[in-house]
Amino acid sequence: MQGPLQELETTYFALQSQINTLAAACQSQDQRNALSTQYVQARQNYWACINKAFHDDDPAVATLTNQIDTANQQIQSATQEMGDIAKVINDITNVVNLGTQLAAKVITL
Amino acid sequence: MNELGSGTVRDRRFLCRGAALLVVFLGLPCGCKTSDDAAAAASQLSSTATTLANYYAALDTLVSETDQLYQIQAAVNPIAPYDSQTQTLVKDTQTEIEQREKLASALTTMAQTFAKFNGSTAASDASTAAGNLNSAVTALKLPASMSPSNVNLMKDAVSLIVKAIQEHKEREAAAAIDKFTGALDTWFTSEEPLYNSIGETYANLTLSLIQPLIEKGQVDASSFLNAVFSPYGLTPQITDTALRNAAQSVLAAQTSKKSAALAAAQVTATTNMEKSLSEMASRIHTVATDKPMTLRSAPATLADVQNWISLVPQIAPAAAAHTR
Repeated sequence: MQGPLQELETTYFALQSQINTLAAACQSQDQRNALSTQYVQARQNYWACINKAFHDDDPAVATLTNQIDTANQQIQSATQEMGDIAKVINDITNVVNLGTQLAAKVITL
Repeated sequence: MNELGSGTVRDRRFLCRGAALLVVFLGLPCGCKTSDDAAAAASQLSSTATTLANYYAALDTLVSETDQLYQIQAAVNPIAPYDSQTQTLVKDTQTEIEQREKLASALTTMAQTFAKFNGSTAASDASTAAGNLNSAVTALKLPASMSPSNVNLMKDAVSLIVKAIQEHKEREAAAAIDKFTGALDTWFTSEEPLYNSIGETYANLTLSLIQPLIEKGQVDASSFLNAVFSPYGLTPQITDTALRNAAQSVLAAQTSKKSAALAAAQVTATTNMEKSLSEMASRIHTVATDKPMTLRSAPATLADVQNWISLVPQIAPAAAAHTR
């Protein structure tokens, strides 16, 4: 498991490097909007954490970091298959939501 | 009151005028040989702090460039708008890096003041320089990815330096400078992942932007043939579609390698900067504890950091000109 910054970085970098492939796979404007929202949020989470000190020993942060680690692995395998873009966006939404919780915890510490 | 109050010691100090103020602080008890060591340490600290300031300036350039790249991305890809909240966060990060640059500059000035010490105004000059360093440390109000205790340690050390200089307590000043350089190294180490992440973000972002642009043919691929044409003073021009597509594929593959190399070069520079700070802290500690410090050149790893710093304006010329 990585630290909070590394987990949020992984999520953001994965979306940043896949954004064009993911956008091309979207079949509706709703899907493109959802992808756009998640990308912006993931990038915001990353930069929010860059701006704040981390306390890796905080148990809540450690738990969330662990959850994101698992979710990051899921979206990495999902983007490799790309067959079901709706599922991929769902996985992305899941990991970004966890990232938002982690960023909020780190910021308020 | 001067804690080194004996006449003999004062005489020695008089004879050693022209050496660094660190000489006075760190070297008096052991005479001129140690004074030479202290002068060398002050000069080396100045070089190290200058490189640290330049390292932060280069990092500042990368953040500025990242800001511009996000604007470009928003223009070419509607799915990635550059929202105002992220813009603020990026600007805040840039401000934080600039504050670190100011801190390193203040440390440079203080070390230079020490190194130039040879007159009656030196104590007040040193006091002013230490005061500026104090302001720079205090300005670090938003510590990112670091333990606040490291900053507090530096704040305490600078307060001690200022107080000791004002009260002419040389031994305390020496101990405080020793404490400061040690804390600075620890602090830099704690922020290394942050600095490297900023460099990786820049490399990752440029790559994700350039590859689709190359795929869409938004690059003059004829430069790919420069090696063939330039010996004959000719300029290549690709008109054949198959050849252009092949050249674009090669260029796209090259960008992946170059992006990885960009990120790796920044990580190496960060590592070498930390090694230089660590080495400098060790040398200052040696002098502060009255031991001989025979090294006369700046830490060797500084040259590697300076090499990366010199490359950044070539990598990101627009942002480098903007932040200058």
